[in-house]
Amino acid sequence: MNHGIKTILLAVLAIAGFFVPTLLGGSGAVYAACVLIAIFAVMSYGLDIVVSDLGEVSLAHTVFFAVGAYTTALLSASAGFGPILSLVGAILIVLLVAAALGFVTLKLREFVFSLVTYAVAVVAATIAQNWEFLGGSDGLRGIPAFEVSWLGFTARNDQELWPVAYLLLIVAIYLVSAFRRSKLGQAAMMVHLNQRLAVTSGVDPQRIRLQVFLVSAPITASAGWLYAYQRAYISADVLETYFLILMLTAVVVMGRRLLLGPLLGVALIQLQEKFFSFGGYVDKIILGSVLIVTLAFLPNGLFGIVSPLRNLFTRRAAPVGKPIPERS
Amino acid sequence: MNFTQQLVNGIVLGHAYALIAIGWTVLLGVARLVNFGHGQMYMLGAFVTWYGVSRLGLPYFVAIPLAMLIGVAVGYVMQRVMLQLTLKQDLVSIMIVTLGFGYVLHGAAALFFGSTGQILETPFSVKDIYWGDLWITYQDIAIVIAAILFFAALKYVIDRTRIGRLARMVAEDPQLAQLAGVNVRRVYLGVFAFEGAAVALAAALVAPRTPILTSMGFDEVIITFVVVVLGGIGSVTGSYVAGLALGLFTAFFGAFVSPAYATAAAFAVLIAVLVVRPGGLAVSPGAR
Repeated sequence: MNHGIKTILLAVLAIAGFFVPTLLGGSGAVYAACVLIAIFAVMSYGLDIVVSDLGEVSLAHTVFFAVGAYTTALLSASAGFGPILSLVGAILIVLLVAAALGFVTLKLREFVFSLVTYAVAVVAATIAQNWEFLGGSDGLRGIPAFEVSWLGFTARNDQELWPVAYLLLIVAIYLVSAFRRSKLGQAAMMVHLNQRLAVTSGVDPQRIRLQVFLVSAPITASAGWLYAYQRAYISADVLETYFLILMLTAVVVMGRRLLLGPLLGVALIQLQEKFFSFGGYVDKIILGSVLIVTLAFLPNGLFGIVSPLRNLFTRRAAPVGKPIPERS
Repeated sequence: MNFTQQLVNGIVLGHAYALIAIGWTVLLGVARLVNFGHGQMYMLGAFVTWYGVSRLGLPYFVAIPLAMLIGVAVGYVMQRVMLQLTLKQDLVSIMIVTLGFGYVLHGAAALFFGSTGQILETPFSVKDIYWGDLWITYQDIAIVIAAILFFAALKYVIDRTRIGRLARMVAEDPQLAQLAGVNVRRVYLGVFAFEGAAVALAAALVAPRTPILTSMGFDEVIITFVVVVLGGIGSVTGSYVAGLALGLFTAFFGAFVSPAYATAAAFAVLIAVLVVRPGGLAVSPGAR
């Protein structure tokens, strides 16, 4: 497809997406669901580039999410910072945490890496439950409404928060797509698919991993930032396995390295939980089973079932590399 | 709260940890597999034992094999579902799938057993022994004896028997093992079934020490992970020693610093080891 047309199409899609809640009736429940879908999708996009591009499974992304949420709660409720300063603070803190974690796990690969990150998530939950500074098991209350005074913008409910959530989502999707086109994104793919080739091409896998981590963590943390405002209250339950399973499922269910995959995945899961719920425990079984079935039986995700159909229409595969210009 | 009492606590706790970790040791060392649903399988083992004893009125000694049987079934089903991933050695997907299984087990257990905390009482756990100012229960003694017997038997099976040799061969080189006529699938299924039985046995013995909840299992995974990695991945003797050391560490840390952060501290020790000696953990497959 022509690059110019593609850009215009994407822009139209981006603008149309904003009116989705209105088209669905615009009730409070619809806005609440849409805001949560946007937040959780942003959270998943952070994990997406680590799992899909770098090919490692970080189980510590709930920690990044929680760091974003807790920093926001502390800065806005106790220090009186506005949303923009809180976001800056959350990103700075999460960069520190991600750098520390990245440094510790620099030499670990595959399952030891995942084990350590999983352990970090479990230990973080223990700390959040017990540390008075973070509110202990009561959590932190009194997060003010989302208010940017110099823009005259205040969001008191989900409907008013929707523009912020949608903007955040668009920025996150843009970042992921820019990452995939960037040198770093391509180096990450090379490290993922062929580490030896990467090393012989002068790419340092450990450095790439650390850099991808540092790109990924702020994306997930910014979702935590908005989640704090949306809920107006943060407790250790942001570190629950639910968020981890939600992120992982969203990343793999549609198919990996699909730009809109995580968004659609989160949307499907949230729709089921909000409008077709069978109670918390059955929903757990459903979510976990979706994750298992996808990985065990659908290596290319739901999209993998559909994509062979496309081959029926386009018989010849697109040529590799740039098309050769015709002689005049 | 004197020193000797903590020493005794630490020894009991250490054997409990070693027992909880044994399934994972075999899984990782003998078959190069991981299971993030280990903690939830522990939870399930504890609840099945509890259900057998307090709801079905079974004797404790019948409830334990029942829990182990269910553990075998769960382990078998898990491995059956991800057999293709195992044969492809796709560890990344295996990790996520087992995590998903843990989540499903949690949901299913909460649905079936309810989400309230329970206490698993056994004929041993209600009998105390006082020896001077030291206090232990018969359950503690049962844990220590069971752990020692289990480890000795496992070491014997892995080192000296045909089954042990087959499992080690599959870990060393699955393709070669297959060429040599070993039924690789059966070994993988068997190892996972063993993991299920081992963790259920550990749960039936260790869970009476604390109240049980369907949301538990996370601490057990971390403990297992620390034991397996510190013990030198896959080493049976190493796991026993590491479990004991970790038990003593946790007992003293809990008594003198803070019980709430004991798991976190154990994990901090592990992180320190990983940072200082990352290469020391790369033990060859099938290591003893």
